[in-house]
Amino acid sequence: MLTLKSRLNDRLKSRVIVCLDVANGRVVKGVNFKGLTDMGDPVELALNYQEQGADEIVFLDIKATLENRKNALDTVTQVAKNLSIPFTVGGGLNSYEDVKMFLGAGADKVALNSAAVNNPELINQISDGFGSQCLVVAVDVNKVGAEYQVYVNGGHSKTNLKAFDWFNEIETRGAGEILLTAMHKDGTGTGFDNELLAQATANASIQIIASGGASNAQHFVDTFKAGSDAALAAGMFHRAEITVSQVKNELMKNNIEVRIC
Amino acid sequence: MSPLKKVAVIDTGAGNLFSLFACLERIEVEAELVTSAEQLDDTIYQTLLIPGQGRFGSVMENLNQSGLSEAIKSWYLKGEKIIGICVGLQIFFESSEEDEGIAGLSLLKGQVTKLNSPKQPMVGWCSLQSSSSNLNDKSVYFVNSYAVKSSVNATSKVSYGEDFVASIISKGLTAFQFHPEKSGKQGEEILRRCLR
Repeated sequence: MLTLKSRLNDRLKSRVIVCLDVANGRVVKGVNFKGLTDMGDPVELALNYQEQGADEIVFLDIKATLENRKNALDTVTQVAKNLSIPFTVGGGLNSYEDVKMFLGAGADKVALNSAAVNNPELINQISDGFGSQCLVVAVDVNKVGAEYQVYVNGGHSKTNLKAFDWFNEIETRGAGEILLTAMHKDGTGTGFDNELLAQATANASIQIIASGGASNAQHFVDTFKAGSDAALAAGMFHRAEITVSQVKNELMKNNIEVRIC
Repeated sequence: MSPLKKVAVIDTGAGNLFSLFACLERIEVEAELVTSAEQLDDTIYQTLLIPGQGRFGSVMENLNQSGLSEAIKSWYLKGEKIIGICVGLQIFFESSEEDEGIAGLSLLKGQVTKLNSPKQPMVGWCSLQSSSSNLNDKSVYFVNSYAVKSSVNATSKVSYGEDFVASIISKGLTAFQFHPEKSGKQGEEILRRCLR
């Protein structure tokens, strides 16, 4: 077992990622995936977080439908033109063509969720066609008894997939990163599920992004110490409870390497 | 300070150039996509920029087919200004483990080899180690699984599992293994400085 210090030295900078959950062109936030509140304009918010020191922006269109796809593509282009940091887009991407369209609109990476579960071969196709570096597979996990189970359709439908089996398959099929959301933590503000994340990162040779449950800087410190490669939050930043730079200051105090900008 | 010059972005036919053009626009550099050797008129363009998308083999094949590989070579040998990003750095070397059997431009000595990093692909931020204050300690964004491990032309390096070359300078060529167009304000500053 390597010490924490040497493990951290052989790592990239721990990334702080801000997620913009978007519905109909506005940033929104729900609790446990339900009850949406308006949080602001995506372009304005994305730029504000870049200024604060966010290492990446994730844009999830949580009400993605065919009808508002053109709007979503326009918003993606506006955000991408203005941002000088990496930008990931997810929500309602179902096919190779969808991925091509959103990458063409300016996304640096796409996040697939239900589509990857429904058609795992899509992971191979996208990885082969555009490179593994542009593919993040988002996984919504819920703790059911002692088991971690994979959910789809914005957390509404339980699947028969066990989380760790699915992580392995995602990696084998060629995804670049896993965005791991603990549904049972999402919106609770009680911190990331570090037990789940520690196990996931120890087993994976691709990076794992922690998601779900953060409400303060200590939660980021804890998850990076547990082994997460990156950590994502939405509500705590949108509610202006704390800035990204405050989170990074706390990480530095705890000897966790972050990007200074 | 001299005005920023017009840039020919080389069409490598292997990826999405949205981010690159968006970045050039933000730093107010006039740039155009160039798809054939005939378009490479040095009375119009002062700088060639080889973008960082795509894999070694497909980029080389496309450049050979369009005749742009010969054009890049002669541009380089004349000592004119070239900027390379990621695979746009790698192609100046002799070959790559990513696509064995396909020759690079071979203007620099060395091979591109698989990166022995803790996690693959390498996607994320690292601090540069350099004797140049313009580069040293700057946090920049890497997206790669292959790299050149050492080069006499290296101007900075990083370590992720092992040391590798993060940037090089040779004649008029300045090239980066990282993506300055995705590296925040520090990346924009690095790119702006070489386009001056």
